Amino acid sequence: MKKLNKLFVLTLLFTASLLYAGDVTKVENFKLKDYNGKEHQLSDFKDSKAIVVIFVATQCPISNDYNSRMAEIFNDYKDKGIAFVGINSNKQESVEEIKQHAKDNNLQFPILKDEKNIIADKFAASVTPEVYVLNSNFEVLYHGRIDDSRKQSDVKTKDLRTALDEILGGKSVSNTKTKAFGCTIKRVS
Amino acid sequence: MKKIFLALFFIVVLQITLFADEKSKQDEKIVVDTINKELLAKIIKERKGKPLFLNLWATWCVPCREEFPAINKLAEEYKDVEFIGISVDFPEEVESKIIPFLKSQKAKFISYVNGFEGDEELINTLDKDWNGALPATFIYDKNGKKVSFLEGKKSYDEFKKEIEKAKKK
Repeated sequence: MKKLNKLFVLTLLFTASLLYAGDVTKVENFKLKDYNGKEHQLSDFKDSKAIVVIFVATQCPISNDYNSRMAEIFNDYKDKGIAFVGINSNKQESVEEIKQHAKDNNLQFPILKDEKNIIADKFAASVTPEVYVLNSNFEVLYHGRIDDSRKQSDVKTKDLRTALDEILGGKSVSNTKTKAFGCTIKRVS
Repeated sequence: MKKIFLALFFIVVLQITLFADEKSKQDEKIVVDTINKELLAKIIKERKGKPLFLNLWATWCVPCREEFPAINKLAEEYKDVEFIGISVDFPEEVESKIIPFLKSQKAKFISYVNGFEGDEELINTLDKDWNGALPATFIYDKNGKKVSFLEGKKSYDEFKKEIEKAKKK
């Protein structure tokens, strides 16, 4: 009977872990280098009101559709206490390529190279662009898209801006998870 | 003499008919209809004994374009499986992007264009755990039950294995 009970609990735990596998609610501190070789860690931004982590790409047309929007959002919120970190986890996109791409597209926030997609795995990030907004405890306050259309003229909901405004206003984020089509993060096999 | 004329007449008529037929084949229009929630639910449900191979793609998605020939080949081989594509390009890009791509691939299966209310509605309809990364393939058995969800580019062999799995259900 005891054995059966143990089995039941284990099954329950296993099922629960499967159920929660899709959504990461908290991340651990991590260290990565940017395209200039400078090391950054999440804890560097602990004093910010929120940390925006964006998984980006250089070759994904959807991520590229958002370059100017990412630059604008960074400019609008950087002085309001919001930190921005880009992460490139695509195996085929080199540090040199990321550096040139950031320069060409005026992306002024640090973009870190996630060799072997270790950090993408920790976030369970699967697409570019994909955003995670974290508080100072690295809990996920918002996860999903920048806005609801890759065509800027069709945008109806500016989901990332809304989440950031709510955080700055001391409110809880009303829509914590959104989705949009994007490119698969190319992981090492 | 009359007989010869008649024979010649029939030959000419036959040639014109054959030529017209060939011409119509060349001009065969690829039609890309819009798919919404109701139509997708109907397609998944009404299986008529055939499993369904549903591939989500876009012309802007490089790995989608790369895996397309493998799916095309499988669509030719598996006549007992229904193959359907859904392009998530914009509906206004049917003529400029989707049809030229399907023509270049000599597509052996039909594709629709995403006409859902928003991307999120289509993503969640197909799988709640899917973040929208493309390409993505969903395979349903002959009863319309989802058997496989494949995210990212897959090979001919990987697809084949999953199709065989769906056929056995």
